[in-house]
Amino acid sequence: MGAKDSTPFYQPPDKVPLPPANAEVLTTCCDYCIVGCGFKVYRWPANAPGGGPKKNQNALKRDYPLKPLEGGWVGPNQYTQATYKGKLYNLVVVADPDAKVVNVGGTHSIRGGCIAQKVYNPQKPTQDRLRQPMVRVNDILMPVTWDFALDIAAEVSKHVIREHGEDAWAMKYYSYQFFENTYALTRLALKSINTPAIAEHDHPSKVDATPGWTDIGYDMFAPAYEDYALADCILVSGTDPYETKSNLWEYWFLKGIRENNTKLIFVNPRKTTGVAYAEKHGGLYLDIMPGSDTPLYMAMARIIVENGWEDQEFIKNWVNNFWETDSGFGRGTRNTPWQWRTTWGMFQVNGYEDWKKWLLSQEESKPEVAAKIAGIDPKLIYQAAEMMAKPKPNGQRVKTTICIEKGCYWSNNYLNTVSIGNLGIILGCGGRPGQAIGRLGGHQRGGSNGGPYPGMKSPYKVPGRRRLELDVDRWLESGHVRFAYVVGTTWIQAMAGSSALQDAFKRYTKLNPHQVRTLDKQAIIDTLKKRVDSGGLVVVNQEIYLRDPIGKQYADIVLPAATWGEEDFVRANGERRLRLYSKFCDAPGEALPDWKIVSMFAQKMGFEGYDWKDSNDVFEECCRFSRGSRKDYNAIRVIARRKGMRAHDFLRTYGTTGLQAPLLIDGDRIVETKRLHDYNRKDIPDTGPEGATIHNKRLLAFNTHTGKLNMLKSPWKYWSDFYVFMQPRGEELWVTNGRINEIWESGFDDYARRPYTQQRWPENFLEIHPEDAKARGIESGDWVAIESDRVPVQKELNLGVKDGEMWFDGLMKRGHITLASGQFTAVAIVTPAIKKGVAFSNFLNENAPANTITPRVPDPITNNYRFKIAHGTVRKIGVSQYKHRFDQMTFARRDIV
Amino acid sequence: MATCKNDGGFQGGCMTRRAFLFRGGAAAVSTVVLPILPGFAGKALAAQVARYPRMKIGRLSALVTDKPVVFSYPDKSPSAQSILVKLGVPAGGGIGPAEDVVAFNGQCTHMGAPMSGNYQPEHKALGACAFHQTSFDLRRHGIVIAGHATESLPQVLLELKGDDIYAVGLLGLIYGRHDNLAAKA
Repeated sequence: MGAKDSTPFYQPPDKVPLPPANAEVLTTCCDYCIVGCGFKVYRWPANAPGGGPKKNQNALKRDYPLKPLEGGWVGPNQYTQATYKGKLYNLVVVADPDAKVVNVGGTHSIRGGCIAQKVYNPQKPTQDRLRQPMVRVNDILMPVTWDFALDIAAEVSKHVIREHGEDAWAMKYYSYQFFENTYALTRLALKSINTPAIAEHDHPSKVDATPGWTDIGYDMFAPAYEDYALADCILVSGTDPYETKSNLWEYWFLKGIRENNTKLIFVNPRKTTGVAYAEKHGGLYLDIMPGSDTPLYMAMARIIVENGWEDQEFIKNWVNNFWETDSGFGRGTRNTPWQWRTTWGMFQVNGYEDWKKWLLSQEESKPEVAAKIAGIDPKLIYQAAEMMAKPKPNGQRVKTTICIEKGCYWSNNYLNTVSIGNLGIILGCGGRPGQAIGRLGGHQRGGSNGGPYPGMKSPYKVPGRRRLELDVDRWLESGHVRFAYVVGTTWIQAMAGSSALQDAFKRYTKLNPHQVRTLDKQAIIDTLKKRVDSGGLVVVNQEIYLRDPIGKQYADIVLPAATWGEEDFVRANGERRLRLYSKFCDAPGEALPDWKIVSMFAQKMGFEGYDWKDSNDVFEECCRFSRGSRKDYNAIRVIARRKGMRAHDFLRTYGTTGLQAPLLIDGDRIVETKRLHDYNRKDIPDTGPEGATIHNKRLLAFNTHTGKLNMLKSPWKYWSDFYVFMQPRGEELWVTNGRINEIWESGFDDYARRPYTQQRWPENFLEIHPEDAKARGIESGDWVAIESDRVPVQKELNLGVKDGEMWFDGLMKRGHITLASGQFTAVAIVTPAIKKGVAFSNFLNENAPANTITPRVPDPITNNYRFKIAHGTVRKIGVSQYKHRFDQMTFARRDIV
Repeated sequence: MATCKNDGGFQGGCMTRRAFLFRGGAAAVSTVVLPILPGFAGKALAAQVARYPRMKIGRLSALVTDKPVVFSYPDKSPSAQSILVKLGVPAGGGIGPAEDVVAFNGQCTHMGAPMSGNYQPEHKALGACAFHQTSFDLRRHGIVIAGHATESLPQVLLELKGDDIYAVGLLGLIYGRHDNLAAKA
């Protein structure tokens, strides 16, 4: 097919209006990934003239055309229109060209760059925003009033709690969408209802993502972004910041590579642009098999200690000896998460020397053995260890930083975080400029706690005295959930083994005989009560768009939420930096912010203290619950009050720079925190922090009872039974998944509603190695089917008594694993950038969810899913239109540098 | 400005630009119809293209596969620097018997780095950009392959009259401009 048949996907504009000099300017941040770049919004009436190209003629205060790197360019995707207080305005949303932090100078990603198009505009793809509460009647979602919908939700909730117990009332919610909302939601679920059946969007339970680090004493968001520009060497595991965390790459990583000659070591089965760029600049690429990280880090550690390259002074000062590890604290050792996980002595060591002895005795720590498991050349492990730890010719230590993300901790959750954490300890990582250890992060950090998790109500108990948080997916599948409040997550596609989970939703909602066939409110309530009493489930879905299937197919009530830009909110980014996200336009229709919906819902349920006036009211209430946390921001409320200001307005004065938490108070001054574990820090107020702030141990030490780090064992046997089962058999390949730059923490509204992103990625994709593709007759642009008929799903409530019963083999033996089937389709991209034997797909495509084949057997130590570990057959089912057209998609390699 | 000292691919302020501007094309009267792009809003495109100068930018017979020629369009300012390239494989909007001759504005649509010297023959791509490593597929209307740009590279619409290649319009906005035709040289 030739060029004459090709059509551009749409006609891109070749001019845009500039904001006039008198346009209003508001500050916000990007709504998507954790980096949280600063943005400015320029607003002027739709009927007023735009600005001119001279700097005194436009609100950007810049002469057009801009010079390279000037920042603040208004392209077609940075302009839209929206109403504010009912009046139509022009809006320009650009990365803040004056940003002093994070995205210094106004760099941006493709997602943040297009964020103006997130704004509700009835002329654009955002026109399908939810605008009205809806109730399902005769299987049609019908618009109703707020009172009508919430009366039903409240009455059924009260009935469920009264008749079936509070653990039959479940909440599945985003953990990140602003402090005000997560506070209101968790206050309702945890404080007022006190249910253990609560889970955030990315876990089956309310658990910790990097438990190995928690037990070691590392805070997962300790580093400052500056650390990535100050390190000599950075070990990057399970992610590529170029693809995901774009501006951390664009500004900070590149600054390090260019100005400081930083060398990057990547551990990832997939070679992306950042990896290729690092290799070109003296870096190293370890293309390991999924799930093989632990032996790799153990082998690196072995090489380091065998050569005496470990940071002996750091180890001497900052590693617990046996007495320190074992010493009680407060109510005793068993009340720490660390002790819950380690009652059997599986992981503890008797100080550093004992750990070293253990390490050297492990078969998997031998570089050749580790290399075989990882499917790489052993030389790479030696090289990596040398780059990270071999002293410089002048005898100085290499400043090494470690950063990880989901490829690392969503495979072998506990052992990977333990083994890479140990590596961090011997390298002296933590607390010093350029010598940090942290997660690069996913979503922004907008979680707050409205109440304590009722751990003792969870029925899940495993050998020893250990009790795990309730696994809401398994609880629901077993029929124990009668009311599900689903806020801002698809729940089903976002969880592992999603086909089987979808079956459960269908069984308890649509296939239940009690279906609403009236618009009489009381009759609806009575019908839904009958449904829950007969073992069925009522689903309330609170969202900005109607999602399939949770809202479209299973929700009885759909509630429209207001979001970013439609309310004043506060949130932190990946270096604990809090900014105010300004309201600059109206929410569509009758949509309301989540905190407001909770307020109305809770009051109808009879709970007190939910009569907040506005989001600032909620923020001021939740500030004090942040005390002592990584994001301690109580100082904002305290100082704002002293100044007679609202807390939101006070934070607004800090613009896109914001305040970096934990925040301390020194007189009337706020003292910020650049990095945690900063034991050389000298700016802690002499008088000590005042009452409003808590002198948090992790400010000047590590996060354990002694302030020193625990070294832990990472025995391969606690993973290998599951790993053996998950290995591809016969024709199967590893089918792992992840995110890409264009769709990263933005899938919930960005991907489907940005014409440019749709042009780039109209369908789900599967990257496959040329040899694997050839063997299956697959070429780039072919439609492929990915299937597995052995997706393990852990079922039923289980109680482990004897050691071994809760490991994968034990569960299998006791009949707690069923094998489900799962499948999805994708357009093939044949590329040597993916390791042979491994295929890679987008993680969260709504219509082709990779999670249909991921194992729903959480890490038995930590209740984290192992999303990255899946296998499947891959076969061609035909040719896609994209194979021979030029207007959408591209099959070019993504590692061109 | 980002530093360029450690980056071999950097073409920004460190390079002397050579802009090839062919005069006379704008004044020439042509009877050649606009490139027909089926499925496209023809009138809108015609209206958009009508704003643009018509410039002769090269000869088909002079093009060598994978050897880009730099020219300026629609004016002489630095951000007008564009490349004309015979890809050797058919491409969206390509002209010539093999439909393989395309032209694009050479400024990265992310932050404006000049990329005219970053043609990748193996991939038929422009990039990776020296600033932040965005790459663009020239077979597919300059779409982003990987990276941070929010627009495809502006594609220069081409017309072939005999052996002469004319630039007649642009699809997309050049980085740093608010109107493709408002820039002064």
